Amino acid sequence: MFFHIILERNMQLHPRHFGPRLRDKLVSKLMKDVEGTCSGRHGFVVAIMGIEHVGKGLIRDGTGFVTFPVKYKCVVFRPFKGEILEAVVTMVNKMGFFAEAGPVQVFVSNHLIPDDMEFQSADTPNYTTSDNSVKIQKDSEVRLKIIGTRVDATEIFCIGTIKDDFLGVISDPGAAS
Amino acid sequence: MSNSLSIEPFNRLVKLTARAFYDDISTKGDNQPKTSRSDNRGTAVVILDALTRRQWVREEDLAKDLKLHLKQLRRTLRFFEEEKLVMRDHRKETAKGVRMHNAAVSATANHHYGREGDDKIKLHTHSYCCLDYAQIYDVVRYRMHRMKKKLKDELDSKNTIQEYICPNCNKRYTALDAARLISEDGENFLCESCQGELVAESDKLAGQDVGDADENVRRRRREKLKEMLQKMEEQLKPLVEQLNRVKDLAVPDFGSLQAWEVKASAAARAAGGDNPDDPSRSYQGGTPMPFLGDPKIHVDISGVEDKEDSKSGTGSAPMKVLPPWMIRQGMKLTKEQRGEGEEESKPDVTSEPAGLSDDKKSTVVKDDKSIQDEYFKAYYAAILERQRETDVKGEPDVSTEEVTGQNTSLDRQVGLKSKREEQSEDEDVWEEATPSAGNTGESYKVDLNVQAEPLPEEEEDNDEEDVEWEDG
Repeated sequence: MFFHIILERNMQLHPRHFGPRLRDKLVSKLMKDVEGTCSGRHGFVVAIMGIEHVGKGLIRDGTGFVTFPVKYKCVVFRPFKGEILEAVVTMVNKMGFFAEAGPVQVFVSNHLIPDDMEFQSADTPNYTTSDNSVKIQKDSEVRLKIIGTRVDATEIFCIGTIKDDFLGVISDPGAAS
Repeated sequence: MSNSLSIEPFNRLVKLTARAFYDDISTKGDNQPKTSRSDNRGTAVVILDALTRRQWVREEDLAKDLKLHLKQLRRTLRFFEEEKLVMRDHRKETAKGVRMHNAAVSATANHHYGREGDDKIKLHTHSYCCLDYAQIYDVVRYRMHRMKKKLKDELDSKNTIQEYICPNCNKRYTALDAARLISEDGENFLCESCQGELVAESDKLAGQDVGDADENVRRRRREKLKEMLQKMEEQLKPLVEQLNRVKDLAVPDFGSLQAWEVKASAAARAAGGDNPDDPSRSYQGGTPMPFLGDPKIHVDISGVEDKEDSKSGTGSAPMKVLPPWMIRQGMKLTKEQRGEGEEESKPDVTSEPAGLSDDKKSTVVKDDKSIQDEYFKAYYAAILERQRETDVKGEPDVSTEEVTGQNTSLDRQVGLKSKREEQSEDEDVWEEATPSAGNTGESYKVDLNVQAEPLPEEEEDNDEEDVEWEDG
């Protein structure tokens, strides 16, 4: 799920940037540092929407670096248990398949794939129904439900299922060609 | 009118639901200590049962009837409202509004409601409640579906996290570790410590029985789940059956409070405004025999015009005959719906004792049981009358056959043949056809028929036939 929240971060700025464009430099450094990172608490920071407030800088003894407390608005993505996501399959093996829903990686193990889909170890490993009507392979798009999340300080990993109503392949690259 | 048809099975559904799911609902908060004295479990069931016998009811009246404290009742009703079992309506009303409701209630319910203190009530907020049968049906079905799904999912380990085990060092991993276990070629999962290939745990379980304590716990849990599912299916079987029974029935719908009041009071007025509190005029409520109190029934037997009058009076549509496959156990059907109404209407044409309909009318004020008895008596009397009628009609036919027998054999055969063909058809046609059989004794036979058939139209018909045949 996506959230629009305000976060705070202490930015350290090198003294060489102290000039008329200090603020711009601060913002661009913030974007470079923060966007694409993941915190277990808030999820993946997708984009910074703007700066809310820049506090008074504090000069560090010895180094000359200055620490600014910066409040910024950003969009975060945090997967939850029970959430339905659309994901792109990245890897298929006999244990199941991996898929990516934006920044988050999801693993669907083979016992959470419908029983009528069998693993086929061809040159492109895939899961196929007996009548060949549905095929899951690399780059397939699937709709899945998250049934478990593992949230570390800097990493979120999910496991999902497609063994439920209205889940499964939503577009098949093989079918289009 | 269709309300009262299916209300009985729906009431049974509500009662079963109450006992299955709301048996141990206590209106007290969990933080309060539960002493045996304040234990009010079961009240919810009583309230639901009481509601099945009513339609829209003022909560004060309900509380009084159940000898419950109003606050306690409200708390339970609020709970049921959240559970989507009852509809509630609150409105500010004056004494007049209350009286209007009382009138509506007394027109539908079986008992008198106290009207004391009507005039003292000023502008007060009154709450009304009523069972929402349509929603109850859906809610119960959804509830059962969720229960079953939850247990089944657990049983199928549908949403459980797959575990992997290293056969070499018995190290366990879950699917959540999958990202860092994946091997270089992306084919397998490898153990972090010994680089052995991991196997899914369920495969292992199938292959060999591991005497692991953890394993046993899981198996026991599985068995418990299975048992629970079985028990659930067993214990909720009556409820499921009742659900299936009401599946195709029309859901009783009382409408909103306003609509219901208007309808009920209108019905009361139509049923005879002089005595609106007549308790026997149980019209569409959950009374045991709602149809027998209906004025429509007793006029069915009497004259045709009467029937028409009463129909327009009550403003009810004529009932349709239900096909046999639609009739289910637990349905309450009227004679008309079983298709017996036709038989009843036939005696209308024949001479009916005039006192019968009057008799019926007087019984309306009696209670339902006596009405039912009276009704059956009258019904059987009508059948008997009818049978006698046909007997009388049959006799002259035999005589005519004898008369025609004196004629040439050819004539007789023709006559018989035509008679047999017509006999299978409707009565009137048959009677019209009989003159065609005879030639010499014809006039005599027709006279006999006329005597048996006092209605003038029939006579004319027969006469016309005569003329036709004499011409030919």
